[in-house]
Amino acid sequence: MGRIIYLDHASTTPVDSRVLKKMKPYFTGLFANPATRWTSSISQKVDEAVEEARKNVAALINALPEEVIFTSGGTESDNAALKGVAFANRNRGNEIITTPIEHEAVLKVAERLQDFGFVIKYVPVDSEGFVDPDDVKKLITPKTILVSIMHANNEIGTIEPVREIGAVCRERGVFFHTDAVQTVAHIPVDVEQMNIDLLSLSSHKFYGPKGVGALYIRKDVQIVPYMDGGGQEQGFRSGTLNSTGIIGLGEAAKLGKEEQEERESCIKEFRDAFLKKILEEIPAVYLNGPNDDRRLPGNISIVIQGIRNEPLLVALNEKGIIAGGGSACSAGKKNPSHVLEAIGVPEEDLFSVIRITIGKDNKLEDIDFIVENIKEITNQLRALSPFWEE
Amino acid sequence: MYPKIIQEHFTYPKNVGRMKNPTATGSFSMPDLAKAVFYFLIEEGIVKDIKYQIAGCPFAIAVCSILSEYAKGKNVKELKNITLDTLGLFFEIPTEKEECINLSLNAFLDGVKSA
Repeated sequence: MGRIIYLDHASTTPVDSRVLKKMKPYFTGLFANPATRWTSSISQKVDEAVEEARKNVAALINALPEEVIFTSGGTESDNAALKGVAFANRNRGNEIITTPIEHEAVLKVAERLQDFGFVIKYVPVDSEGFVDPDDVKKLITPKTILVSIMHANNEIGTIEPVREIGAVCRERGVFFHTDAVQTVAHIPVDVEQMNIDLLSLSSHKFYGPKGVGALYIRKDVQIVPYMDGGGQEQGFRSGTLNSTGIIGLGEAAKLGKEEQEERESCIKEFRDAFLKKILEEIPAVYLNGPNDDRRLPGNISIVIQGIRNEPLLVALNEKGIIAGGGSACSAGKKNPSHVLEAIGVPEEDLFSVIRITIGKDNKLEDIDFIVENIKEITNQLRALSPFWEE
Repeated sequence: MYPKIIQEHFTYPKNVGRMKNPTATGSFSMPDLAKAVFYFLIEEGIVKDIKYQIAGCPFAIAVCSILSEYAKGKNVKELKNITLDTLGLFFEIPTEKEECINLSLNAFLDGVKSA
């Protein structure tokens, strides 16, 4: 396999070599269960490293270490947050507010909660994917117990006004959860400033290992633990700790905090140069989501009219360029992206979206090569396409 | 990732494009998702030329190309009952790609039957 240019960082990122180095001793020599720290010196060392990781994760989002619970990743954190708050606050009300553009890890949980008597209300988004905090305010009733709105959208990069939404929730005494899987370590996240009560994050989105994440739970928030057992993680999440993964997450968090600004500015430079070039070079291409600072630094979601995204992605892959799609065609059935539908992308364009998500190791000098390949393949596919008229 | 024959025809599809004065055309679509159009030039029952347009996945594109190569010079009557087996596509078709392949085949058969 030749050189790979990886442009799907919103899907996952490679483990940073410094993170891997930090993790290595904990696979073999330092393997002991941190729960037995009072009787085993190896356990004690592992426990100390886990607690150091907790401090690093807490520092990254300006939380207290005891407010950070380790999980298996973003999906588990979202499940634990929504189900946990819902069941702990059932006596106060049964209404939950979310958006139509959340990740499935929130949307499907919300749907599941309907089976248990909870009512889900969806706050609309505009054509760039933004939620208006006033709309959240209007939906809150005395029965509302939780608002869950993502910090930034994984498909179109829209950064939601979570601080203002959090303020609305606090004013009305409603818990506020945000899925910050796409933002933590990428842009500043501060649970205090942003009025956040619960926050989900995932290690592999910022150069840590897969299978580990965290849920921030403000100390005055009540949740029902959904995983019962040995009572680890203050009883919130039983199960032997994934200590090696957690230690990797902690190191990724430390590096993320130290390098966040530098990474953000490099990635933005790549994004803006890439976007300028592709819009200049290929006709009938447009951006989904906002084109300003309210967009994730590393996200480019574009419609390339007249073609389908799948053959473009496959052909790019043959050139060593790995990008992502939007809507997928599955079993010949339309499986359009709920996000693109929610922001009103025309039906004929729903399967023409590609998502380029930039990482810290992408090189500016590759932009010409990438855009030239996209252009060449697009021209070939348009020449083939009955949907394309010159 | 893809069977070799699909990979080859997807990377270098043959007989691509429109035809000015076809004697028969056929099409099949899944609205807003995918569409295939075949153009035939048939003289005395023989396929003299064939072209197509396709917006679909790599399987759909490759099958258009394979069908176009197969049909050239053949009697239209022979083509009316064509199946994937006739083409010698002896690879296992992934379930989720059946519809994509059928899109191309149906567009082709639509044209052949109207000839």
